[in-house]
Amino acid sequence: MRLLLIEDDTTLRETLAAKLADCGFAVEQAADGKEGLYFALEYPIDLAIVDLGLPEMSGLDIIRNVREQGKTYPILILTARDRWEDKVDGLEAGADDYVVKPFHVEEVTARVNALLRRTGGWASSTMTAGPVSLDMSRQELTVNDASIELTSFEYKIIEYLMVRAGQVISKTELTERLYDQDFERDSNVIEVFIGRLRKKIDPDNTIKPIETLRGRGYRFALERGPSG
Amino acid sequence: MSSLNARLLISVSVLLLFFFGVTIVVLDTAFRSAGEQAQADILDGHLMAILAAAEATDDGGLELPPDLQEPRFGAIGSGLYAELRGDAGEPVWRSRSALGIDIPVGEQPQSGVRLFLDEVLADGTPVLTLSLAVQWELPDGNYRPFVFKVAESLESFNAQVAQFRRQLFGWFAAVALIMLLSISLLLRHLLRPLRQIENEIGEIEQGERASLSGEFPTELTGVARNMNLLIDSERGRSERYRNTLDNLAHSLKTPLAAVRSLLDQEQAGKVAGKVNEQIDRMDEIVRYQLRKPANLQAKNLVLVHVPIAPEIDRLVAGLSKVYHDKSPHIEAAVDNGMEFRGDSGDFLEVAGNLLDNACKWCEKRVRVAVGYPDDGDGQSGLLLIVEDDGPGIPANAADALLQRGTRLDESTPGHGIGLAVVKEIAESYGGQLEISRSELGGAKFCVRIPSS
Repeated sequence: MRLLLIEDDTTLRETLAAKLADCGFAVEQAADGKEGLYFALEYPIDLAIVDLGLPEMSGLDIIRNVREQGKTYPILILTARDRWEDKVDGLEAGADDYVVKPFHVEEVTARVNALLRRTGGWASSTMTAGPVSLDMSRQELTVNDASIELTSFEYKIIEYLMVRAGQVISKTELTERLYDQDFERDSNVIEVFIGRLRKKIDPDNTIKPIETLRGRGYRFALERGPSG
Repeated sequence: MSSLNARLLISVSVLLLFFFGVTIVVLDTAFRSAGEQAQADILDGHLMAILAAAEATDDGGLELPPDLQEPRFGAIGSGLYAELRGDAGEPVWRSRSALGIDIPVGEQPQSGVRLFLDEVLADGTPVLTLSLAVQWELPDGNYRPFVFKVAESLESFNAQVAQFRRQLFGWFAAVALIMLLSISLLLRHLLRPLRQIENEIGEIEQGERASLSGEFPTELTGVARNMNLLIDSERGRSERYRNTLDNLAHSLKTPLAAVRSLLDQEQAGKVAGKVNEQIDRMDEIVRYQLRKPANLQAKNLVLVHVPIAPEIDRLVAGLSKVYHDKSPHIEAAVDNGMEFRGDSGDFLEVAGNLLDNACKWCEKRVRVAVGYPDDGDGQSGLLLIVEDDGPGIPANAADALLQRGTRLDESTPGHGIGLAVVKEIAESYGGQLEISRSELGGAKFCVRIPSS
C-alpha cells in the first residue's frame, strides 16, 4: 500500500519512511506543505501521515484541501502541539487519528495499520475471512491456523486485497500502490504473484480466496468472519 | 471615605450647616431685637397714657380713672399690668388687671429715667417692665415722688419668637434638603461616565465585552484609552506567551521524535532504552509545563465565555474517530446554553483529557454530564462529571494519581500527566478534581469549579 509522509524534519522523515518501508509500505515523502499537498492530490495514496507544523503550508490546510477535493483515504496527524484544541482542530479538519511527538515508531505503524484496516471496514487487528487470517501488526498470514511463508511482495498483495475484501481491484491499482515510484511497472508480474499466492494459500484449490474478474481485476472473495 | 459621591455630599452638608447656622443666628437676633424694641415702645406708650390719665387728689396722692384708655388694664390676667407706688414703695394704685398678681418691686429707677427690666412674676411668667420715677407737683405746690411701673407678659412675644424660629428652621431645613438632593442628582449625572467605565470593566471581566467603548467625556478619554491599551497588551501577552511555549515545544519535540526514531532502529543497542527514558522525561516536563494554565497577572481581562455543548460535541466527534475500533458509546448530558467562563481552551483541555482517559479504559460505555449545582451560598459553580464502565481506580491509587504532577520529576513517565493537568487547571479556577467509583462500574471523575 502506498503511504504519503509529509514531515519537514529530515532525520525524522527518513527514519520513519525507512521503518514504514520495512513494514511493507511504499512510501512517498514530502518535506514541505506545498509539495505534500501536490502528492496528496495527484498520487494514488492509501493513507497520508501529515505533520501539522510545516513550512509553506500548514498541515491543517493540507487536510482541509484534501477533503475538499473529495479524497477519503485516512489521514494520520503527527503533532508536537498536544493541546486538545489542536487535536480537535485536526480531527475536525478531516484527520482520522493523531500521534503526539515524540512518538515511538511502532506507535505510528500500529496506527497506520489500524487506519488501513478501518478503510476496509475491519474492526480488529487481525482480519479473518473463513479459514484465512491476516495479522497486520505481525505481517503474518495463517490458513486454518497454519502460518504461510510469504515474500514481502506477496504479503503486500494479499494485505491490499484482504483489507479491501469484496472490492474489485484492478491490476493498475495494484501496481500503483504496491511498487515504489521508480520501480519498473509490469502488470504481468502481478499475474505471476497472484498465481503464486493462490498456490500457497490454497494448494488444493478448495478455498478459492482470490477471484479473477476478466478485464477488471481481482477480488478477495471470502466472506468476512467469523470474528472480523 | 471611598466614594466620591459620599465625599462631596458630606463636605457640602458641613458647609451648608455652617452657613445656614450663621444665617439663622443672625436672623433670629435681628428678629428678636426688633421685636423687643417694638415691645419697649408699646410699653412706653402705655406708661405715657397712664401718666396722662393720673390726677392728683386732694390728700396728696394720685388717682387714676377706673376705665383706662387701654382695655387690657381693666381685664383681669390680661398680661398688661400697671401700678403706682409712693417713694417708700407703698402701693398707691394698681390696675384691675393686676388683681392677685404681685408685680415685683425690683430696682428703683433714677428720677426721670426710664428703666426697662426683664423680670419674673411670682407664678413664673416672664415680663418686661418699665419703671419711671417722677416728681409729681401736688395741688399744694409741693412735689412728691412717685414710681410708675407697667409690666407686660412676654409669653405671647416669646411664642412669636418661637414660632418665627420654627418657621426659620423649617424653611432652612427644606432648602438644605432640596440643595443636597439636587447636588446628589447632579453628582449622579457628573459621575455617570465613571460608573460606565466601572460597568464596562466589569463586562470585560465577565467576558461580555472586548474593550471600553471610548464614548467618554474629554477628562476620561485618556483613562479609557490607557485602559484599552493595557487590556490589549495583556491579551497580546497571554497569546504571545502561549505561542512562544507552543513554538518552543514544537521545535523541541520534533528533534526528540527524530532521536527516538533513530533509537528505534535495531542497531541502536542497549543505550537506547536509557536514552528513551530520558526522552520520555523531557517530553513529560515539556507537556506538563505547556498545558499548565498560564499564570497571568490580569487574568480577568482575558477570560471569555465558552459555550460547553459545542465543545463536548467536538470532543465526542473527534474521540469517536480516534477510538473507532473500540467505538465506545458516549452519552453526553449537556444543556444548550451552558457556559464556562475562563481562559479559552481550558475547558476543552479538562474535558478532553478526562474523556480520552474514559474512552481508553472503558469497556463500552462513557458518560459525560455538565451541571450547575448550587454551591451553598446561592451561587452556582460548574460541575463536570466523566465516568466509564472500565476497571476503575482504587482509592489509594487515586490519591497517588492526583499527587503526580506536583512532583513531576519523580513520577514514572507515561501515566497521569493528563490528570495532573486537569487538576492543575481546576485548581487555578479555585476548583478541584475528585476521583470516585461510577455506578457504571468504572472510574468517575468530578471537576468542580466554583463561580468566581
